Amino acid sequence: MEIVKTENLVKIYQDNGVPVEALKMINLSVSKGEYVVIAGPSGSGKTTLLNLLGALDKPTKGKIYFEGEDITLKEKSDLAKIRLHKLGFIFQAYNLIPVLSAIENIEFSMMLLGIPEKERKEKALSLMDELGIKELADKRPNEMSGGQQQRVAVTRAIVNNPSLVLADEPTANLDSVTAGHLLDLMERMNAEKNITFIFSSHDRQVIDRAKRLIILKDGLIES
Amino acid sequence: MLLKLAWRNIWRNKRRSLLTLAAVVFASLMAIAMRGIQLGTFALNIKTVVELFSGYMQIQENGYHDNPSLNKSFIVDQSMISSLQNTKGILGFAPRLYADGLISYKNESRGTAIFAIDPDKESLVTNFMQNVDRGKFFTSDSSHEVVLGSQLLENLKAKIGDNVIILAQGFDGTLGNQKYKIVGTVKLGVQGMEAATVFMGIKSAQSLLGMGNRVNAIAIKVHNINQLKKVKKSLIQVIHDPNLSVLLWNNVNPGLQQMLEFSSVRGIIFLGILFVIVAFGILNTVLMSVTERFREFGVVLSIGMPQIKLTYLVYIETLLLTLFGLLLGNLLGFVLNSYIVDHPIMFGGEMKKMYESYHFLPQAQSSTDFKIFLYVSLAIILISLFACIYPAHKVYKLEPLKGIRHT
Repeated sequence: MEIVKTENLVKIYQDNGVPVEALKMINLSVSKGEYVVIAGPSGSGKTTLLNLLGALDKPTKGKIYFEGEDITLKEKSDLAKIRLHKLGFIFQAYNLIPVLSAIENIEFSMMLLGIPEKERKEKALSLMDELGIKELADKRPNEMSGGQQQRVAVTRAIVNNPSLVLADEPTANLDSVTAGHLLDLMERMNAEKNITFIFSSHDRQVIDRAKRLIILKDGLIES
Repeated sequence: MLLKLAWRNIWRNKRRSLLTLAAVVFASLMAIAMRGIQLGTFALNIKTVVELFSGYMQIQENGYHDNPSLNKSFIVDQSMISSLQNTKGILGFAPRLYADGLISYKNESRGTAIFAIDPDKESLVTNFMQNVDRGKFFTSDSSHEVVLGSQLLENLKAKIGDNVIILAQGFDGTLGNQKYKIVGTVKLGVQGMEAATVFMGIKSAQSLLGMGNRVNAIAIKVHNINQLKKVKKSLIQVIHDPNLSVLLWNNVNPGLQQMLEFSSVRGIIFLGILFVIVAFGILNTVLMSVTERFREFGVVLSIGMPQIKLTYLVYIETLLLTLFGLLLGNLLGFVLNSYIVDHPIMFGGEMKKMYESYHFLPQAQSSTDFKIFLYVSLAIILISLFACIYPAHKVYKLEPLKGIRHT
């Protein structure tokens, strides 16, 4: 089953009035359960592509289909619903909410879905237990290491059973051992829960583990 | 969870939140104290003036108030007395006669305002008779006895027990004069009145002025000043005389009403300025707090938080801070106002003279009326919400990506 597909995707930014073509005619299709890494040098358009796939940005030209539905012209509120119900995000800088504990961060997106407190607490704890981070439940982000924060971020990304998880340079701020553990975790989620992952990264370790590798260069898919 | 998030967000920058809190506490305390003193003093001034002379309402012949004349007088018959006695809310009533005259003692003469009363009835309506400072007040049965304003006695160079001649133009236009014995003096707190007023029994005055049993006014005291309009309506229905009007204290003394209104407007303008300053303080704090969290907002928008919920969060944070500040401000305001109620601020010097010139007690009183706390709190809540509009709009318009990229 096709989760996300792009057709002739073009993204042009205005940089101080100068148009910059970040993506040029990208045609891409990702199916359910894939574990995809988009690699390429800085400025190749990895993050731009990920943002477009994640309904965070709109293309200048072309179309994006999410689960068969064209989301290119959807309203902001509809895109927010898609992000909430269908997508999970993992950011380079973890981006946990600093005033919430680990479990509260994980519960946050369930709260947005209107899941009752008791149910979301049970679900968050169960998933944290499964991912081996239960002992972090009551810790605030500033009480956790980078690796621990990113594990919590992964848990937050997958807790609502999304169709697709987008991870933008998730290991960039981690040492190689921690990054390895994190990748193990995501691979396990991919294998056990059949969650689709799309990474953007230029980390060798991430690229080496890719089940499908897409190389971007100057806004074009090179391979 | 939004509430929990808002509460924790407030305390992530303690210094800034405490400053905002202090601004709300200060504004509410100031507003409650200022409004309390203003309304408390107004109520005291009204009570002082009304209970000193005018009464809470008066029955007069039509046009008497605008153009006083002995001719605009009326007879108090049994039917009117019954009507007054049977009207709910009336505590007491007293007939009065006012006239201008000349008072002489030996070689000294002074223009005077004759204030004729029935002491037994007057004591149910006003309290100036309690201010006797020398001698005594005449009784309802006594005749040819007068009480002078304290200063008038000095001006006439007379003393208690001396006889004075009072000359006045009567009801029929003829001049009447009679001899009266000074039995006492009163302190009225108002120099002008103390230097010109002579009090005499209403029967003595009716005899001097040839008025028969006519009076110029009936002063009335009510149980509750807030029920004045209701009592007036009932009274109009039972009097059944188209030539008579029922005037409230503010009709009898429109200058007092205007002065209090002007003073009230001035106070409200001052409060408005205070609130505007606080509004800018809140706007500044909320804007800073919001702008520095754009990245965080970008993240929560990315994970699907609806923009409107994020806007609610900004409002909840501001409201929590405001409500907490109001709680403290109201508490301190209540303590301060209660203290002033028990320990009024006494004026001296020019302030005292100015207050006395309006027949007021030279003191500032306060009030713990619930409405003061309610209206000040509502005003500050509204101002806080208003100050939030711009920051909330910025949040509402924030794009997730712009937020995430914000540095």
